[in-house]
Amino acid sequence: MTGLLAVITVSHYLAVGAFFFVTGVLCMATKRNALGVLMGIELVLNGANLNFIAFGSKYLRSESLGLDGQLMALFVIILAAAEAAVALAIALSFYNAHSTIDVDQGDELKG
Amino acid sequence: MELVATSLFDLVSEVIRDTKGIGGWKEIAADSSVGLFLPEIVLCGTILTMLVVRLFRIGEKLDMFYVGFVGLVASLLILSPWRLTENPELFARRELFTGMLVYDGFSVFMRGLLFGFGILFLIFAKISGIPSKYDSADIYTLVLGATLGLCLMSAANHLLVVFMGIEMASVPSYALAGMQKRNRQASEAALKFAVYGAGAAGIMLYGISLLAGLFHTVHLPTLAWQISNHLPQMETSELMVAALAGLMIMAGLAYKLSAFPFHYWIPDVFEGAPAEIGAFLSIASKAAALALLVRVVVGVGTLPADVAKSMADTKAVAEASEVMEGTVWISHEEPAHVHGHGESHERSGSPSDKPADEAKVISPGLKAARTYMAKLIALIAILTCTFGNLAAYGQNNIKRMLAYSTIAHAGFMMMAVPGLLAVAERAPDVAASAVSGIAIYLVIYLFMNLGAFAIVAFLRNAMGSEQIDDYAGLLKSCPGITICFVIILFSLIGLPPLAGFIAKFAVLAAVADAFRISGDGYLMWVLVVGVLNTAISLIYYLRVARVMTMLPEPESRTPVSLPLFSAAGCYVLLMTIPVALFIVRWGSLHQTASAAVDYLLGP
Repeated sequence: MTGLLAVITVSHYLAVGAFFFVTGVLCMATKRNALGVLMGIELVLNGANLNFIAFGSKYLRSESLGLDGQLMALFVIILAAAEAAVALAIALSFYNAHSTIDVDQGDELKG
Repeated sequence: MELVATSLFDLVSEVIRDTKGIGGWKEIAADSSVGLFLPEIVLCGTILTMLVVRLFRIGEKLDMFYVGFVGLVASLLILSPWRLTENPELFARRELFTGMLVYDGFSVFMRGLLFGFGILFLIFAKISGIPSKYDSADIYTLVLGATLGLCLMSAANHLLVVFMGIEMASVPSYALAGMQKRNRQASEAALKFAVYGAGAAGIMLYGISLLAGLFHTVHLPTLAWQISNHLPQMETSELMVAALAGLMIMAGLAYKLSAFPFHYWIPDVFEGAPAEIGAFLSIASKAAALALLVRVVVGVGTLPADVAKSMADTKAVAEASEVMEGTVWISHEEPAHVHGHGESHERSGSPSDKPADEAKVISPGLKAARTYMAKLIALIAILTCTFGNLAAYGQNNIKRMLAYSTIAHAGFMMMAVPGLLAVAERAPDVAASAVSGIAIYLVIYLFMNLGAFAIVAFLRNAMGSEQIDDYAGLLKSCPGITICFVIILFSLIGLPPLAGFIAKFAVLAAVADAFRISGDGYLMWVLVVGVLNTAISLIYYLRVARVMTMLPEPESRTPVSLPLFSAAGCYVLLMTIPVALFIVRWGSLHQTASAAVDYLLGP
């Protein structure tokens, strides 16, 4: 029971962030569906965001990143949205040309 | 960085003062952040004009080429990089927007290069006619938007701007790579580019978050200061995290640089996308990525003179306040930045009073960080250069061959960075000459590669093929263009009277100097591999030259008409003349590049 009553520290946030990161990287590496890969990228970005917010909080550590942490998270959210919009448009254009969004079907360019 | 203010009012007025300088509400001081950021603001305005003007009837008739052209020329005129040699003191290091960006000769030089490339690129796209009338506005908007991101990359002083610059440059590039509709190869290239690019950016962001957590800052000079103070006392586990974060950030940078383990997207994208987009990615994107690499390694590996000086001044104060937990960081940071701003303004006012006692504080923490980065980048540069040259051999598609050649050249330019890091503290002037070597290389590379891609694009328009074998016997049907191409290929190899030789010489000479002074063994390896690679690259460039000049013309081919005295031919000539005759006037470029890096390391 004592484990459940422990004070939440930066490490707890970092553990969740690292879990997101690893899940995202696995998703990017193993998914064959382009949308699955894009979801993996979002997970990686959000794992990093969680780290930034945890490091930025002054309640968790006396030496914190300060407002920079929160601001970076905000900017990353916006950039991730822009990136997702473009990546989805490209996935659509890939679908128009190949009638599938299986990334393994894109194998014409190599050498 | 944190602004230390007692009240909200002070905070706001401090931000305003930093942004627009001291003065009334209506005037903007010339040396304020906004005044120095004006070229980018004009570029933003151009992009917005392009988007908005299409809503009205006039916009349907107006060719967006002219809007983009006027915007880029205006940005270049406001920036006026030619002032670099006239008055170098104007370009002393100065932080903009509370430390987000840095303004110095190097950023002016790089932005001048990017704007100049943008102008040449617009003309190139106009002549080759790749954007159809309906598409042209979209393409010019994307190119200008990417240029804006590249400008941020070359002036980054904060890890947020590093990440934002990379994303702002990459996201339009993804769209540019896939702009040909219903084209199987283009859509495949764009998807690979976008997926790998976003993945690399995500990994880089995670690395930045780890570094931010370890050192409690994302502002590069403050980061260097924290490293110099805290790295020697860190535990092994923390050092491991720092090294991992460095690797992750390097992965993101290597992706933009198309360096060895992250190079695989470049050949696919170049083959799938039109040659015009290849030119943009191989020149502008590479130039900004190298500038960013220099910014990051200089930012993390060295203390700017003003910060180092104030660090020595405030050491006693800092030690005293170490007792009071919680306020330590504010008191550490505050003198550095306030001092930094004050001094830079003062320096720009009266340049003669450069402090003579700028003796750098030798710090073991920074030295360790520098050695780590230097060895990592040396290894990546060696692998990139060798791999690019070896993989270029078997290529039949000219764009794919040029893609591998781009990788090899990126590796070659990166070779100057370990040299820079090895002597950054001992001999700042030699380290600066390494950066000026990169700058010279980039200018020459701009002409060489733009010329090569222009010829590929014009030949595609004339004969509808991009296979090297189809170029057989072109000497007969279009001699002017063929001779220009051969000159450019010889220059890409780096043969003596041509510009490419000067570029390679500038980089290798800087590395050799650094090796002489520091005696670090890995620099020797860099030198040897650099020279060997020049020899390796001989064969695949010469193969193209041989096919074009010596092989007989195939009977089946319809006559190719690409005279030298047409818009396309003149454009190629315009790119070739500097490549061929650069040796005559290379002193002025050397002077400009040296003036540009004057304030990069030290006063």
